Amino acid sequence: MTPDTPFDFAFAGRVYRAQPGDTIASALARNGVRVLSRSFKYHRPRGLLCAAGHCPNCLVQVGDEPNVRACMRLVEPEMVVEPQNAWPSLGFDLMAVVGWLDRFLPVGFYYKAFIRPRALWPWFERFLRRAAGLGRVRSTTPPGHTLKKYLHADVVVIGGGRSGLQAAIAAARAGADVALFDEHPTLGGRLNITGEETAAAERAALLAQAAVQPNLRAYTQATVLGWFEDHWLPVMQGNCLLKVRAKAVVVATGAYEQPLLFPNNDLPGIMLAGAVRRLLHGHGVKPGKRAVVVTNNDEGWAVAAELLAAGVTVAALADTRLPDGGSARALPGVTVFWGHTVARGEGRGTLRRVWLAPLTEGGESARPTQAIPCDLLVVAAGSTPANGLLYQAGARIAYDEGIGQFVVQELPPGVFAAGRVTGRMGGDAAAIGRQAAAFALGETPNPAPIADDAPALPAPCYRPTPGKAFVCFCEDVTAKDIATAVAEGFDSLELVKRYATVTMGPCQGKMCAAASIHLTAAATGRAIAATGVTTARPPMTPVPLGVLAGPHLEPLRRTPLDEWHRRHGARMLVAGLWHRPEHYGDPTAEVLAVRQAVGLIDVSTLGKLRLTGPGVPAFLDRLYTTRMGDLPVGRVRYGLMANDEGVILDDGVTARLGEQEWYTTTTTGNAEAIYEWLQWWAQAGWGQGVHITDVTEDFAAFNLAGPQARAVLQALTTADLSNEAFPYLHVRQFDIAGVPCRVLRIGFTGELSYEIHCPAGFGLHVWEALLEAGAAFGIRPFGVEAQRVLRLEKAHIIIGQDTDAMSDPLSAGMAWAVKFDKADFLGRRSLVRVNSLGLRQRLVGFEVLTPGVTPEEGLQIVAPNGDGRPAIIGWVTSSRYSPTLGRAIGLCWLPADLAARPGAVFTIHRDAGPVQARVHHGPFYDPTGARLRG
Amino acid sequence: MLLLPCPNCGPRNVAEFRYGGEVHPRPSDPMAVTDDAWTDFIYMRANKAGVQKEWWYHRSGCGLWFLAERDTTTNTVLRTYLPRNGR
Ligand code: FES
Ligand SMILES: [Zn+2]
Repeated sequence: MTPDTPFDFAFAGRVYRAQPGDTIASALARNGVRVLSRSFKYHRPRGLLCAAGHCPNCLVQVGDEPNVRACMRLVEPEMVVEPQNAWPSLGFDLMAVVGWLDRFLPVGFYYKAFIRPRALWPWFERFLRRAAGLGRVRSTTPPGHTLKKYLHADVVVIGGGRSGLQAAIAAARAGADVALFDEHPTLGGRLNITGEETAAAERAALLAQAAVQPNLRAYTQATVLGWFEDHWLPVMQGNCLLKVRAKAVVVATGAYEQPLLFPNNDLPGIMLAGAVRRLLHGHGVKPGKRAVVVTNNDEGWAVAAELLAAGVTVAALADTRLPDGGSARALPGVTVFWGHTVARGEGRGTLRRVWLAPLTEGGESARPTQAIPCDLLVVAAGSTPANGLLYQAGARIAYDEGIGQFVVQELPPGVFAAGRVTGRMGGDAAAIGRQAAAFALGETPNPAPIADDAPALPAPCYRPTPGKAFVCFCEDVTAKDIATAVAEGFDSLELVKRYATVTMGPCQGKMCAAASIHLTAAATGRAIAATGVTTARPPMTPVPLGVLAGPHLEPLRRTPLDEWHRRHGARMLVAGLWHRPEHYGDPTAEVLAVRQAVGLIDVSTLGKLRLTGPGVPAFLDRLYTTRMGDLPVGRVRYGLMANDEGVILDDGVTARLGEQEWYTTTTTGNAEAIYEWLQWWAQAGWGQGVHITDVTEDFAAFNLAGPQARAVLQALTTADLSNEAFPYLHVRQFDIAGVPCRVLRIGFTGELSYEIHCPAGFGLHVWEALLEAGAAFGIRPFGVEAQRVLRLEKAHIIIGQDTDAMSDPLSAGMAWAVKFDKADFLGRRSLVRVNSLGLRQRLVGFEVLTPGVTPEEGLQIVAPNGDGRPAIIGWVTSSRYSPTLGRAIGLCWLPADLAARPGAVFTIHRDAGPVQARVHHGPFYDPTGARLRG
Repeated sequence: MLLLPCPNCGPRNVAEFRYGGEVHPRPSDPMAVTDDAWTDFIYMRANKAGVQKEWWYHRSGCGLWFLAERDTTTNTVLRTYLPRNGR
């Protein structure tokens, strides 16, 4: 994939040449491009700062992908890179006027600016929308392809620098299965960039040792987004989210270099030492022509020497320490300023010169004394441990006076820390890797921490020089803003964070969290330790929502007849996970076929349960409001289930197939929930002698319905189907078209009907045989839509459509299905109370009086209240035009007194005009049920 | 994501399970309790900060309803076991 010869790419409309191994940022630096972006609030030009993925400065748009960190993404041939947040262009950003207007955008401006005058808000909003935000999401972009993978490891090592590699190799040698994640394109961390001769050799040796361990898998450009319970780690690698479960975790995430706080500390050309070294040694790019180095530790001296060696002029080195504070090296031609710092940067667009100032005894910078022209300022002013993941994992982190930083004090079981993340320069990472392996393999508790006498990390300096010194590059928060926030009363760290939005930008506090603690402490006069830290939360870096969402996959359930339906023109409908035929082209004809001849519907989606054992009668009597225990062999009964609140859960039929065998159906949508419900009651104590098996997918099921149903079925069986031999509400088992079936005589549609259940594998055969035998009788397959009309003509309710989580059987007009004379059953206690209090609302049928209108389901029923204005008194739950009756009918909830009066007229509110309807009791069609019993 | 040890299957991702709420046994004779006590049983939960006994169902596994003792303040599962008479 990676080319090995130079190639071209585009940035901001111009073509540039990149070298193999370049990141977007290094390629741009190679071409002298210094301004990469504009800042969020003031639209100030920003350039490469950390080159380590820790700051917001290099966020660019790559093709359709916004917010790509240019220093972390390898550039590719033909890549089209655009700057973000600049309008109309990066060099000339009109929004930069905002920078001059900053007194109108004070800290907390989200909460106080633009509020008045209110009428101007739409104008402000348009302006703010253009001004704010990062990158552009193009609505035309096709949805990306994202992946999700699961991964298990004994030991996960986070961070592939020297310590991470050492720990991973040691853990692998100890026999653990190890996964190593590093967010950079190459392993080695700082070994890639220090420029020390030994570093490259050490890196090569470590990689060679890692390569021979078959039980060590290394992942690069893989960012660990957070730590979750039991060492569950989401890891983003490109468009893939790895979900990783580890037994032990070694955090070797190193440290974040910190900027210095002086006015214009954000000018392009001001870089952290790590960025300079990465350009020099990682990519062979000179980061500038004339450099000034500012430092508070020995690293600045090393970088100065490296710059000189690369042919870069180093005009000056300012060291905040006094002459005896550090090991001075010989730097030919470099003027060294001991006890000095940078007081300000200057330049339009990019850095032109810096002002140095001596430090007072109190550590403040005095008046600037020296102006030094330069195009590069190297800031080597300390680092802060990257311990966010440790914090998330529950480590105790506290301020260490000796180190001068917040460092980890105590680790939770299975979590280990190695390297600079501990606040020290190194330590014995291999020993930590062995400890992690021992924990993972033997589940031994965390051993006592290894006494670590490695030198402390140089602590950053957070004393600001007055002026526009940026603390937070993401949100353009200055040191002064934090002091102002405290002065306005937001005097705790968490409040400062929320008010000033410091640490809340894309860098997630990597560059600004420590500084904001120090500045808040200074402004409140509290100690650092007492000021504390803000809570570290996932994600550690911004993550595209698509990566979290993963591939869009949904399980789909098809009945055994699915293919037949589609071949025969069925319009399919989604019902939960199932696809079912809604109709085959003409639902009205389907209704009439069932009423006048015969129809066939696929009801394989019904939940089907097999219950066996001597305890079943008592069990069913407790679970159903209806009586079930005394159901004789060969009989079928309708069943209604409620919970202890007295709310309807589900309905279905139960057939007793044998002395100790029952077969129960549930509604399609509730199949799984009811199975779990029954299992719960059975396993929680009511299940002695009860066995429940979910056989939903074992059986295909169809309903053969209509006056000709018996004749059709008789053509395929020798069984006696006469009304005497096989009456209504009975079950029989016999062969149909040579297939053993269980047949239930029930009638949701109101016609003579047989519900046929056969082994799923024979479903298509039986279905086709029935259609063939029925051809002479005018049979039609029918779908869910016709079934809805047919059942509505019989005023049968559909659970979940006509009822909701408040509906009890008494209010739903099903008092006949509640057997109060049974012993205790679920819902009984509550329903006794409902009964004694009386009903408020009732579910009842209605006929539409207004001609030509079928009111939509969900419409509200209104009546004038006391002051003559309409009030809602009910709502429509089912409504259809009935071709059988020639008018619209439905079910609705009404106040009980109104519902009790058949013929009472009421008004349904509809946008196109009110609809009159009247109350109807009982089935609309064949009220005596003669047809289904015949 | 929490690991939950199913008494049958061993430790599994919590996503395989359905949470069944805290254990609050049903009165053995509901008709013998007052309306208020019954209302409490139906609608009120202890919502304990500390070790809570609760139901879990191994939905994407063996189908077992079992009990867990979990510290709701730390989300640590102390033990899981089979129910005996609903508790
Ligand atoms: S320069 Fe790329 S993230 Fe800081
Ligand atoms: Zn299980």
